[in-house]
Formats: sequence, C-alpha cells, structure tokens
Amino acid sequence: MIALLTGLLSTAVLAGGVLSLAAIGEVLAERVGVTDLGVEGLMSLGAATAIVTVMAVPDPWAGLLAALAVGALGGAVFAFAAVVMRANQVLCGLAITFLGLGLSATIGHSVAGMPAPVTFAPVRIPVLGSLPVIGPAFFAQNLLVVPVYLLLPAFFHWLLFHTRHGLNMRAVGENPAAADAAGIPVVAMRFCYVVVGAALAGAAGAYLSLAVIPSWSEGMVSGRGWIAVALVIFAGYRPFNAAAAGLLFGLITAIGFLGQARGWPIAAPVLNMLPYLGTLAFIILPVVLWKRMRRVMAAPAALGVPYYRSVR
Amino acid sequence: MTRFQRFPTAPARLVLAWRAAALVAAALIIGLLLALSGRNVFELAVLVLKSTIGSRFGLEDLALFMTPLILTGSAVTVTSRIGLWNIGGEGQFYLGAIGAAGVGLYMPGSPIVVLPVMAVTAMLCGVAWIAVPTLARAYAGVNEIITTLLLNFVAGLLTYWLATGPWRDRVTGALASTGRIHVAIPEFWGVVHWGFPIALLVAGGLAAIMTWTSWGYEVRISGANPGAARYAGMPTRARIIAVMLLSGALAALAGMFEVAGTVHRLQGGMADNFGYLGIVVAVLARRSCLAVIPAALLMALILDAAIVLQTRQLAATVVLAITGLVLLLIAIGDELAHYRPVTPAVRLPPSAPVATPKVTT
Repeated sequence: MIALLTGLLSTAVLAGGVLSLAAIGEVLAERVGVTDLGVEGLMSLGAATAIVTVMAVPDPWAGLLAALAVGALGGAVFAFAAVVMRANQVLCGLAITFLGLGLSATIGHSVAGMPAPVTFAPVRIPVLGSLPVIGPAFFAQNLLVVPVYLLLPAFFHWLLFHTRHGLNMRAVGENPAAADAAGIPVVAMRFCYVVVGAALAGAAGAYLSLAVIPSWSEGMVSGRGWIAVALVIFAGYRPFNAAAAGLLFGLITAIGFLGQARGWPIAAPVLNMLPYLGTLAFIILPVVLWKRMRRVMAAPAALGVPYYRSVR
Repeated sequence: MTRFQRFPTAPARLVLAWRAAALVAAALIIGLLLALSGRNVFELAVLVLKSTIGSRFGLEDLALFMTPLILTGSAVTVTSRIGLWNIGGEGQFYLGAIGAAGVGLYMPGSPIVVLPVMAVTAMLCGVAWIAVPTLARAYAGVNEIITTLLLNFVAGLLTYWLATGPWRDRVTGALASTGRIHVAIPEFWGVVHWGFPIALLVAGGLAAIMTWTSWGYEVRISGANPGAARYAGMPTRARIIAVMLLSGALAALAGMFEVAGTVHRLQGGMADNFGYLGIVVAVLARRSCLAVIPAALLMALILDAAIVLQTRQLAATVVLAITGLVLLLIAIGDELAHYRPVTPAVRLPPSAPVATPKVTT
C-alpha cells in the first residue's frame, strides 16, 4: 500500500511539474493584467528547442536555458503585440499558440521520435530523500522538482505579497490608471512579467521533453498549456496554489497511468480524458458550490483589458 | 501639431488598408524565411497560384476547404456577436462527425431519409457538447474560453476511441478509422458536394437573422452593452444560452458535412484544425455573418497554398505557423485602425512670446 502510494505520488510530482511551472508563469502575466493564451505554443516551442539543443550540447541545463530563452522571445513577440501595440489579447494569444505549434514542428522535424541523449536524471537529496513517501516523491526526483514546487512559488509569493514591487504589480493588474497616476510604469511592468511568464512556459516545455517524456514528437504538449491556463483560475491567481494545482493534476494523470498499467477495463483514450475532464470539473464546481469563492479567488479587475492612458 | 489619437471605432476603409498591409507583411516574412532556407520564392509563388486559383482542381479544393470553414467560422461569429468566444469548435466538429457517423453506419435506408437524420443527430450532438460550458457561463459566469477549449481534447480522444474501438472497421482492418458510410452527400461539380451551397445559405441566413429579426437585435445589444440590454428588459441570459447552443450546432454541422461529403468515415484527427481555423475566419470577418464567406475563402487559400508547400519538403504544420503569423499581424492592424491623425483646431503661432508670470514678493 505504501509502495503504491509512493509510486503514485512520485509519478504525480513528475507529471505535475510541467503544469505547475507553466501555471506559475501564467499567474505572473495575469497578475499584471494580461491573459496570455499562448502558453500551449510556448511550451511546445520550449520542448522542441530543448531537445534540439541537447542533441548538439549534451547537457540538460543547456536545453533548459535555450527553452527559457525561446519562451522569453515568444513572450516578447506576444507582449509587443498585446501590451505595446495593445492588440486584442485573446487573438494575440491564439496567434502565438498557432505560431508556436507550427514552428516547433518545423524545428523538431529532424529529431522527432529520437530519444533525448541526456535528461534530468533523478538525484537523491541526503536526509530529506529518506523520509517515507514524501522523500522518494519530492527529494529523490530530478533537480527541477524542488525549485518548481517550493523555491519558485516561495519566491514569487514573497515578491507578489510581501514587497512594494509586488504591490505595484498587483496595482497594475487591478487598476492600471491609478497605478499610472502613482508613477508606476504600466506598459514596462506588463511587458516584463509577460516575458518572465512566457520564459517559464518555455521552461515547462523543456521539463516535459527532458524529464517527463524524454523525446520530441509533434503534439506532445497535447493541451497541457491550456490546462495550465485553466489552473490559474482554479488557483485564484496565487503562486503556491498554482503549484499545488499542478500537483493535483499530476495526480489525476498518475491515476490514469496506474489504470493503464494495471489493466483496468477502461480504454486508454478514455483514461487519457481524465485530466481535461478533471480541469473542467475543478473550474466549474467551486464557483457553483461555494459562492464566496468568486470574491476570494477573483481575477485581477483589469485582466485582459488593454490600458490606454488617453481614455478618460 | 498633428498627433495620432485613438478613437473607439475603426472606419472600414482603415481596417481594410491595415489588413492589406498586414497580409503583405505576412507574405514578405514568409517569403523571406523561405528564401533564407534556400528555396526559389518566385517559382514557389507561381506554383501556389497555379495550383490554387489557376486550375479547376485547385478551385474544387478551395470549395471543399471553404465548406467546413464557413460553418466553423459562423459558429465563432455568432458567439462573438454576444461578446463570447466559442473556442470549442474543434470539439463540436468532432461530435458532429461522431453523431453523423453513428447514424450513417447503423441506420439502413435511402439517402433521402438518412442524410437529414444524420444532420439533425450531428447538430444535437454538438449542442450537447457545448451545453455544460453554456450553462456554466450563463448561470455561474465561468469563463467560456477555457471550458469550451478543454472539451476539444476530450472530443478528440472520444473520436479516436470510437474509431479504434467499438466502431472500428472490421472488414478492411484500416487503422484508426471506421468502415465506409453507405450514404454520401451528392456531388454537383467535380468533387464539390452540396454541402458547399448549403454552407453559403447558412451564412446568408444567419446574416439575415442577425440584421432583420428582433431576436438578432437583442443578441447584438446584449453583446454590445449587457447592462443596457438588461435594463431594456431583454432576456440576456436566454440569448446567451441560445447563441452558444446555436454555435455548437453550426460547428457540428461542419463535422457532418466532412463525414458525409468528403471523408465518408469517422477517423481520429479528422477535424484537422477546422475548429481552430474557424476562430481565424471569424476574426477576419469582424463579427459580420456575411463576411465569413470571403474570410473562409482567404483561409482556404492559405490551406491550399500550404499543401503545395508540403510537396516541397515543408512540415505539414507550417500552415499553423502561417495562420498564427497572419492572425498576429491582423490583430495588430485592427488595433492600429483605431488611430487617426488629429490636428487641434486652435493653434498658437510658433513664434508667439510666452507670457511668463512675474512673481512678486
């Protein structure tokens, strides 16, 4: 029983890291008032870039770095259109998703289906790694797991809720006109955090192709980016909640894997529906069942609304 | 001093001008990338023109591409009239295909009976597929973009499961596909089937409903100003529900046409991004139900061109990248169309001495 639980949690932690990383990035973009629907495309770009990079330079950190850079570049294109030019954010996000999916297939065409030469291998952290259940699940995995679930959320939580800079960020997302009047550079702030969030989405792609499924194939992201966007709503725009939500969906995925491995009498495609149906249930049910949730977990007031200084 | 000021409305001629500029820019960027990868751009351009609008075969292909695009484009357009986004066209397309294939595979009879039953079943399946996001939107305010989109993946898996599992072809043993359906929409011009004129009629009919009926008026007002619509006593919630269900039915009809007119079986992955491209068509059409037709033509041209590029060793998904680029540039162009130069009416002569108030102590 303990072995089963440990196995399930380990798979969940590994698979959920992709969603956590991307969701934390999206939290940043949405906190400053920009809906970035390009996550799916940016993740795909990151995944393909990471594999192509490690084929040339056999070091997973090089792959991660390249994916971060490509994510940031894609984010800069999105932010130029949606923040600087103030074009419709939904359209720009969809455009970046299309662009990312199309370009990643072109980039990864020559390496499709090949196994990654190097991956983020599991490393056992002394002392913590020998804890029961939690030890193998969190502290005997690849070196990205602790940053993804603890360090990054802790840092961004501190930044958002315990610094003046974070207060400014949230002000830009809630009321950009007031923030502007107070001397906060709205456009620069939005641009900057959209790019950081997009870089994290790229990194999530590298995590997927270097740690979860160590290879590149077209369509391997298969909606994980969209799930990450949905998790941000479920997580109430908070970094720790986003990481926890990623873990929860890792768990749903792990249950699907377990079902396939144990030969449950349910077809594999039906088990694969679980993460999508789970996400759907988790964004609809809380709002329906618990009305107060709408206020506690409300979206930033200016989310998705371009800011024009001249509008009075 | 002349300066550019943003206006809340964008005049049609400016929109058209900026869009033309955006398309030219997209073509230049694509041409530049192709040239950089060592291809003869001019020769490719001639080839693309010849094999799309320059030949009978190309024109037939265009009509076949346009049929689903008009319907999925209309599906997104009707929801955009009420201020919502149905990003789930892909999923509703699959459900329409499933409904149509289910009837086509298991209902015997003459095409005159079976085809209408297929269409109605398909549309009901599409309506059922969008029902949960619709109710969540109308009664709990849950963002419809994410909910409709997530169901696309479920629908894709459902199709794949049906085509490889319970409904798989037991005769020829083809992979990921059901057997051939015994009825088909008749063709009237080469490979172009009657679904094409029907799709055109649907687009025209929707335009008429939106423009000339009080229902369409209420939908438009509910989208433009929900507060005013409620204050005027319009049932906005009922309109939201009706419009979203209609949208699901339209996208599902595209799936039925594809099953009964072109593919003749249910296949995994058969939606081929038509649902997502419907979003692009709707954006190009700028919420006009009639403009969906030329927008679908442009999109079909891009798809057709991409097939030509594919024969020249370019990945099949290059069409997605091209679409993304066009969409991004058009989104920017549409925003730029809101800016017009204004010159302040009262001008100070540039050399006028500026009176500085003397400060007396």
